[in-house]
Amino acid sequence: MEPLLEVDQLRVRFKTKSAVKAFFEKDDDPYIDGVMGVSFAIAPGQTYGLVGESGSGKTTVARAVMGLVPVHSGAIRYNQNNLVGLSRDRFKPFRKDIALMFQDPAGSLSPRLKIRSILAEPFRIHGMMPKNLPQEIARLLKMVNLSPSMGDLYPHQLSGGQARRVGVARALALSPKLIIADEPTAGLDVSVQGEILNLMARLQDDMGLSFLIITHNLAVVRHVSDHVAIMYLGRFLEQGPTQTVFHQMRHPYTQALLSAHASPDPDAVHHRISISGEIPGLVARPHGCEFHTRCPGVQEKCRRQFPDKAIAGSDHQYYCHYPLSVPEN
Amino acid sequence: MIESVLDIRNLSVSYATPRGTVQALRRINLKVPRAKVVGLVGESGCGKSTLISAVIRLMAENALVAAGEIRFLGQDMQYLSPPELRGIRGRDMSMVFQDPMTALNPVFTIGRQMVDIQYRDGVSKKAKAKRAADMLSLVGIPDAVSRLDNYPHHFSGGMCQRITIAMALLVQPKLLIADEPTTALDATLEVQIIRLLKELQADFQCAILFISHHLNVIAELCDFVGVMYAGELVEKGSVRDIFQRPAHPYTRALLECDPSVIEERTRFLPTIPGEIPSLIDLPEGCIFHDRCPKAEQVCTKTRPPEVSITEHHTALCHCLEV
Repeated sequence: MEPLLEVDQLRVRFKTKSAVKAFFEKDDDPYIDGVMGVSFAIAPGQTYGLVGESGSGKTTVARAVMGLVPVHSGAIRYNQNNLVGLSRDRFKPFRKDIALMFQDPAGSLSPRLKIRSILAEPFRIHGMMPKNLPQEIARLLKMVNLSPSMGDLYPHQLSGGQARRVGVARALALSPKLIIADEPTAGLDVSVQGEILNLMARLQDDMGLSFLIITHNLAVVRHVSDHVAIMYLGRFLEQGPTQTVFHQMRHPYTQALLSAHASPDPDAVHHRISISGEIPGLVARPHGCEFHTRCPGVQEKCRRQFPDKAIAGSDHQYYCHYPLSVPEN
Repeated sequence: MIESVLDIRNLSVSYATPRGTVQALRRINLKVPRAKVVGLVGESGCGKSTLISAVIRLMAENALVAAGEIRFLGQDMQYLSPPELRGIRGRDMSMVFQDPMTALNPVFTIGRQMVDIQYRDGVSKKAKAKRAADMLSLVGIPDAVSRLDNYPHHFSGGMCQRITIAMALLVQPKLLIADEPTTALDATLEVQIIRLLKELQADFQCAILFISHHLNVIAELCDFVGVMYAGELVEKGSVRDIFQRPAHPYTRALLECDPSVIEERTRFLPTIPGEIPSLIDLPEGCIFHDRCPKAEQVCTKTRPPEVSITEHHTALCHCLEV
């Protein structure tokens, strides 16, 4: 099947100082790399999970797909149409098809607008005002299990879970094909988290939506996504089908991330792969393999050169000089 | 009998609001034994933060302790004067806040802040700075002496949380209150901070009251656990009681919701249907009855008593299977 969204060698760079300052400081490369050549594809009706620690570039990938940050090189194809370098006006039609659910549910709703007006905004912006707007808004609210009377409330009157559902409703307004969900469950309680994820799963079943889910919660990704990519300092260190990556991981970072989760059993014995320290800053990007500063199995070669892409199986790729052996069974 | 650092008896706290009285906490009984870690778990709005603010006596202006006592080292915190309270806070009782970035003052170096909190000790500034540096290396900040001159923005979130923990322990408190100290951090940092707290607690022998909505963190760190729901402490017991033999239907439902315990990949996750009841118009009977799968007639009428399951394991429920 043709992928709905295809990202090929996407690279995003941010300028760190002005051209004049760079000239006088003899800095011929005044940039940092937010995203360093990532490739992935999302098929219609599928969910792709993007996992990584803060500062790994997950949100930058999402923003690049939405055309919100300039792309340095690479291609982003939506239904065979290249989105890179499109002007504001030419990009606009694609924003109907690709909707974004923002990270901060309450912060992304204007505090001065009623829920009704917030949900009407996508229609207004795209000049697609339906004739029966009140019914349309009631329908959207019903879709996310909110009562239509909620349209009269302001965002501060909603709970975190309700605000998140309004975010889902707004993303659904123009019947998109792809929804990018940036940390859809961050800051939610476990019981509410389940409700939001179930809602997204149901909408996917009913409407054939595709999702790109960005999260640092591996427990969530394991249940909802078909494919997953593990991101670190702007690169996908490992990517593949969720089950394969979780059970036959080859990259030490994947293993460390998986073992870093606290367990609900107080008697559990933890075989933690300890990775010390924190993700390095983008300004001081380590040489060689970026993960070598924290990797438990680091060797000389890792400090010198970044590993080539290795293919472990169908769709399963990783970048590591000394990959983990595949567990038997 | 275990000696308690903190003993909360029958505590009820309410907030006066224009829409009515919010009964944020109702009849809470909780003991924090010396040198033990007690975890409080519950969803947003269950009253965890109100409980801490009542313990440390930093309550909102419209808050009122309607009943009960908060005994810290034997004295009731309610009857202490502001100077007496200041003598306790930051000496016998200290606190780690949720957001490390806003807990530190951005315009002072961390060295200055760490020296300032030792204002009570009559030693030289140099000695205080040395203690600060020692404490920083203890919490795992490399090159501590030179980093005292750095400002909070020079540190990452995880580092800042280590610094706030160092500051809280610098005064060698009897009780450390930690309000969601790992919520703002990534999973890899979260386990690092838990491990650090565990080690330091063993060294310093201080009691910790640890608040979190993250069940797994509680399971890993705490000795005793209290589960809160809508302003009541519905179940409490040892960490094994709560996680291996949960008795209250709410605790069970909460544990089942956690996606990390579900081994099989599922498309639809379990949830707790319904909403938290309004704390202004409290429902009659058990606070959980309208969401409880096992609710019976009696649950809608009378408030359940505190039932002892084992010596330290109690739950507020009519329908326990004991």
